Amino acid sequence: MMDAGRHPRIELLSNSEVTKVKGYVGNFTVTVKRKARYVDEKECTACNECVEVCPVAVPDEYQQGFSSRKAIYIPFPQSVPSSFIIDMESCLGNNPIACGKCLEACDKNCIDFDDQDRFVDLEVGTIICATGMDVYDPTEIVEYGYRRYENVITSMEFERLICASGPTEGHFMRPSDQKRPLRIGFIQCVGSRSEKRGVAYCGNICCMNTIKDTLLLADHYPDTESKVFYMDIRAFGKGFEDLYRRSKEAGAQYIRGLPGEIVEDPKSKNLVVRVENTTAGRLEEHELDMVVLAVGVIPRHDAPVMRQLLTLSKTADGFLMESHPKLKPVDAPSRGVFFAGCAEYPKDVKDSVTQASAAAARAGILLSQGKVCIEAITSRIDGDLCIYCGRCAKVCPYNAITAPDRKKKQLPIVIEAACAGCGTCAAECPTDAITMKHFTDEQILAQIEAYLAEDPEDQIIIFACNWCSYPGSDLAGTSRLQYPTHGRVIRTMCSGRVAEKFVLRAFELGAPIVLVSGCHFSDCHYISAVQWTQRRIEKLWEKMEKLGIRPERLQLEWISAAQGQKWAEVQRSLEELRKKVTKEEIGETRRILAQERARKEKKAKGRPKAGAVASEQE
Amino acid sequence: MPGEADFVCLRCGAHFKMPYEESEGPKERACPECKSNSVRRVKEKK
Ligand code: SF4
Ligand code: SF4
Ligand SMILES: [Zn+2]
Repeated sequence: MMDAGRHPRIELLSNSEVTKVKGYVGNFTVTVKRKARYVDEKECTACNECVEVCPVAVPDEYQQGFSSRKAIYIPFPQSVPSSFIIDMESCLGNNPIACGKCLEACDKNCIDFDDQDRFVDLEVGTIICATGMDVYDPTEIVEYGYRRYENVITSMEFERLICASGPTEGHFMRPSDQKRPLRIGFIQCVGSRSEKRGVAYCGNICCMNTIKDTLLLADHYPDTESKVFYMDIRAFGKGFEDLYRRSKEAGAQYIRGLPGEIVEDPKSKNLVVRVENTTAGRLEEHELDMVVLAVGVIPRHDAPVMRQLLTLSKTADGFLMESHPKLKPVDAPSRGVFFAGCAEYPKDVKDSVTQASAAAARAGILLSQGKVCIEAITSRIDGDLCIYCGRCAKVCPYNAITAPDRKKKQLPIVIEAACAGCGTCAAECPTDAITMKHFTDEQILAQIEAYLAEDPEDQIIIFACNWCSYPGSDLAGTSRLQYPTHGRVIRTMCSGRVAEKFVLRAFELGAPIVLVSGCHFSDCHYISAVQWTQRRIEKLWEKMEKLGIRPERLQLEWISAAQGQKWAEVQRSLEELRKKVTKEEIGETRRILAQERARKEKKAKGRPKAGAVASEQE
Repeated sequence: MPGEADFVCLRCGAHFKMPYEESEGPKERACPECKSNSVRRVKEKK
């Protein structure tokens, strides 16, 4: 942190918040709110004079509330810049000045009660998002008595209590009587790996953190007895197994079983932990002086704000989704944005440093090149056909289209450096003003027409996305899975590209069944494009019903690249559905849709026209 | 109480209830009977 603070090419903006991000790779404008500190950070020498006179004391967040701080304070001992700050929420008041003692005490006149929040715009080419994580609050697990029993603490609180710069200056003691605990229990997986309370995933760091804590205790206080209650110990990193072994050799007892209950002795404040020891196969009670809950890791409470600012998506567990889990693990789906640390997934210091180095290198590569290669598959707007409805700008998951302005006759513009080529805009444009390069309407319609040119009643038209369902079909094939062969696959980059007109055209040409398939929501390669697919299909079901076509004939499936089995199963059930569609039904559908098409074409003739081709490249 | 709505599976025809909030965006759903994602909300007839 010190190094970063002193580096001539690193500008550290502490006590600041990103409020707006505009632009795209190579051309971001980031608006940062620099919150008022009320202390001149350049002049302040952290001499502490002000702290001594400040009459306000509030719980110190950094010390997990075990000690207090003043309204003027330094957030933590190593903070950079090493300057004080006034917490205006707890200060007695600056307007008018209610106390002003710090003002009088500061010889260097660093204190400025008139300081205001300022906004600065930064022009940057790339962004690394390293916003961290929160820890799980175990209060809801009532049987462990956190907050009810003073001597039940979390692993974060333990960290402060044993730290030399902590509230007790490293003299480890328990909260109820400030005596040193001699028997300490650690309960693993608190709020992790649970479908009911907390989160379903593994916290990733808690096992090793506890092992480290038992070694710390053995080192500082060899007479302490440590008992670790666990489901299974996950010591998978380099040197981790060795650390685990050392912890056991140092005397820590590992008891397999998660306690069902903790009961406090109201007098001694000691704790009795009831647990089923699954190795020994018996119920046990352990009397302890203190219990540490190894709490899990959760996404930051303000993660949705970050996602919105940077046009990011999340995985099912709520952490930021990477562009590709194996090939681009530090890249965000939005180009020019990278991840480091627990914002992406819980990880330890070593993994965070590895990822941060990778992110810095990835960002450095982009910056040093000075130019970016754009995708070959991007969209292009034909100004002659655009009616300024703004639909394309609204649906683009990458904000790659500028909103049109009808009054100013400003057409929407595709920012090709930001466009990822999902095709959602083209599918949603009501006037077919958008062309997707390499996946044009004509190309897709030609495939539909070719498939249905002969015996259409025998064909099932399947739209499959490039990243998930199409590879899923490949897997079914390479795994030699057997399934009916009536499916005719049309690949699109994203299911978001599948326009209403493709589906209706397939039915018009006699397809008995149409399947639209894409990635699971949490795997969508194009942030949220898959959600537009779902919306569109839902609308299509309504429309089909209104027109007198059975909605069941349009099917929707989310199939991942690993779900070859699902692909085969879907094909089998589609074949069952296909057999139920009669030639009469197909004939009636064709008649209805031909009529509908004639009606639309007539309506389209009277449509007004606009400007020219709008694409930033022109 | 979190909202619920009626859904129908367009694959197997099963009817079921699932959590649903009007204000929320689209969600990935699967039929509890056949696991198909062709799940459609049954709107109340006005
Ligand atoms: S290109 Fe299409 S969707 Fe975009 S504003 Fe024009 S008409 Fe609307
Ligand atoms: S193709 Fe997708 S990413 Fe590109 S402009 Fe259209 S909606 Fe946006
Ligand atoms: Zn079903």
